[in-house]
Amino acid sequence: MPLTERIEAHPWHYDGRNANRWTPLLVGDVETFTLKGEGWDAGPYCWADLIALDAPAGEHVFGLKDEQGWRLGFPGALPEDLAALLPKPARYGGFIDRIGLGRASAVLAMAAAAVVFVGVKAPGWIAPLVPQSWEDTMGDAMAGDFGGRICHTKEGTPALRALVRQLDPHGTARSIEVANIGMVNAVALPGRRIVLFRGLVEQAESPDEVAGVLGHELGHVRHRDTLTAMMRQLGLSVVLGGMDGSTGSQVNAVLGLSFSRDAEHQADLAAIDAMRASGISPVPTAAFFARMGGEEAPAKAKGKAKSTTQPGRSIEALDWFASHPSSTSRQQLFANAAEKGRRYRPALAADQWQALQKICSADKAVKPGFDFGF
Amino acid sequence: MEEQQHSAFGFDGSWKGYAPIAFTNLLLMIVTLGIYRFWATTRTRRYLWSHSRFIDDRLEWTGTGKELFLGFLMVILILGLPFFILQFGARALVMRGHAGIAGLLGFASFLVIFYFVGIARFRALRYRLGRTYWHGIRGGSDDAGWSYGWSYMWKTIVGMMAIYLLVPRAMMSLWNERWNAMSFGPHAFESKGDYRPAFKRYLMFYLLPLIILGCGIVFAMFVGVGSIMMGGGAPGGSPIGALLGVLFGVGIYGLFLFIGLSFYAIFIREAVGGLSLATLTFAFDASTKDWVKLFLGDIALVIGTLGIGAIFLQYRHWKFFITHLEAYGDIDLDRLTQSDTKLSKHGEGLLDALDVGAF
Repeated sequence: MPLTERIEAHPWHYDGRNANRWTPLLVGDVETFTLKGEGWDAGPYCWADLIALDAPAGEHVFGLKDEQGWRLGFPGALPEDLAALLPKPARYGGFIDRIGLGRASAVLAMAAAAVVFVGVKAPGWIAPLVPQSWEDTMGDAMAGDFGGRICHTKEGTPALRALVRQLDPHGTARSIEVANIGMVNAVALPGRRIVLFRGLVEQAESPDEVAGVLGHELGHVRHRDTLTAMMRQLGLSVVLGGMDGSTGSQVNAVLGLSFSRDAEHQADLAAIDAMRASGISPVPTAAFFARMGGEEAPAKAKGKAKSTTQPGRSIEALDWFASHPSSTSRQQLFANAAEKGRRYRPALAADQWQALQKICSADKAVKPGFDFGF
Repeated sequence: MEEQQHSAFGFDGSWKGYAPIAFTNLLLMIVTLGIYRFWATTRTRRYLWSHSRFIDDRLEWTGTGKELFLGFLMVILILGLPFFILQFGARALVMRGHAGIAGLLGFASFLVIFYFVGIARFRALRYRLGRTYWHGIRGGSDDAGWSYGWSYMWKTIVGMMAIYLLVPRAMMSLWNERWNAMSFGPHAFESKGDYRPAFKRYLMFYLLPLIILGCGIVFAMFVGVGSIMMGGGAPGGSPIGALLGVLFGVGIYGLFLFIGLSFYAIFIREAVGGLSLATLTFAFDASTKDWVKLFLGDIALVIGTLGIGAIFLQYRHWKFFITHLEAYGDIDLDRLTQSDTKLSKHGEGLLDALDVGAF
């Protein structure tokens, strides 16, 4: 190693202690250098401790490790011996500079696609592995007893049980109840719990319509869709947290939408299966969707339904399943599921149906309904 | 150092020089799902700072993408996670019928966010000064901004009382409080901005609705008469009437914007004009016309490029800021020694996470 190779240069220099601009003589070898000013010496410094910084065209500026404000600048082109000792400035940062922008972009794009794919799919893989008891505990913690808004009557409760026995003979759901809430809707909560809203029971024109909706929610419970959706919401908000708030949440909403449409469709199929098994006609459910999709529905839906355009999605606080497939396609699905020549019977006898419809209005102890959405 | 003939501040960047940075930043942000934006911000600032001259030397940005990223992660962990859990808790409370408690929780978290927005603004300024070097010297502050957070909260709330009449006063008071806590090298900034010169223009906000109401009545009469003349009051109204209606709406929006900009022009002029650092005083000479031009230029740029032009907004705003900034006085380079304020290890994560603009 030529230790004696002498290097000389005339840089400008800030020492980081005051704002004076010095013009010392730089004297060094291949390892270190010293700065010699008028009446002062500084160094020796190691070339290896220099950090390349941005500089205007035709200039080269360096900082020194762990020394704030210390700068060394070389105006004009660098002599070759000096250039070999000085570090190169970073451009994009990190590994992108090492492998090049084009290749780095391709690698990163693939990684991003993989992250999004896993982010969308993983909840569906993980949800079935979560112990059911955990989900049950969480569901109970979240919903409790609905603040005393679950309706019970001597006649209505057995009627509900009778309906449940037909659609869920094996007891997939832990509880199926009617809540004193005016909206025309039903929800599958985490922990195998289904809540039908008073608005739905009262607005339905036959027990078969309620059976269709109940079958649908049972499909969600069976597929553990609620847990999946909650996990996806959590996962996506973490993955997309790197984006600007608005972009991230928009992407989040779109991805959530496409996923839950599939889940909704599967739940509809489950409802049709359950109805077929218990001999309940799917045609009234189709009529129900036709009414819900039609324009007369909002006017008919009394009570506290807030949304006037889409009565099927009026619960803001329970928006995990806010994105159902269009009413028309669902209507067709149920209408086409009717088997020709099969004799269907009503899901409930007339007196049972009457009792179920009055389960909330006849319950004197139940607390009044409330509005979601905050 | 003798006083310069020309402006003490100058900007010699060009959009062509910045374009490679802007476009590669956009590309890398897309392929990293936005995570690169911390490094993108750093690259942009390094370009802008290094093309900004103060007297005889350029500014230097020494912040890093990594510290911005870490700052962001920290905030997500410290603030984001509890809020996410709180959100689920609030849902559960509503479902259990405790809407009142859920509402209280929501209000409490709103207050906490409010407080942190104030701190975020303060810390962003502190961070930016701490990472800005000139002649090897940087700025900073030893104040962490905790008390500024309170000031921000109560001054904003008081400002909104009395039909928002105290807003300019609160804004200027907060500006002064922020800058009075900052320093560069060994010198503390002194900020004595006065809100009063801008107040007359602020009052225009209150006058304008009355003028609009008057115009609206005249306009309605005109359209009414017009449609009768054109054929007996067709239910849809005439297309000319509809067009005029749209123009009227845009005009109102434009007028409010104009008042806002004309107020802001004077406000910033006074705010920067009240700022001094040791023997230096500052000035900002952008007129309302300049602000309107900047704003219309922004709109034209973004719309004309279908949104892509937005990547040049930061460049435009910085250039506007530097070219209109002015400083007077002498600097004693011997006495401009290194700042001994504490440097925070993380960037403006709080600001980033809460999505509020600084400056």
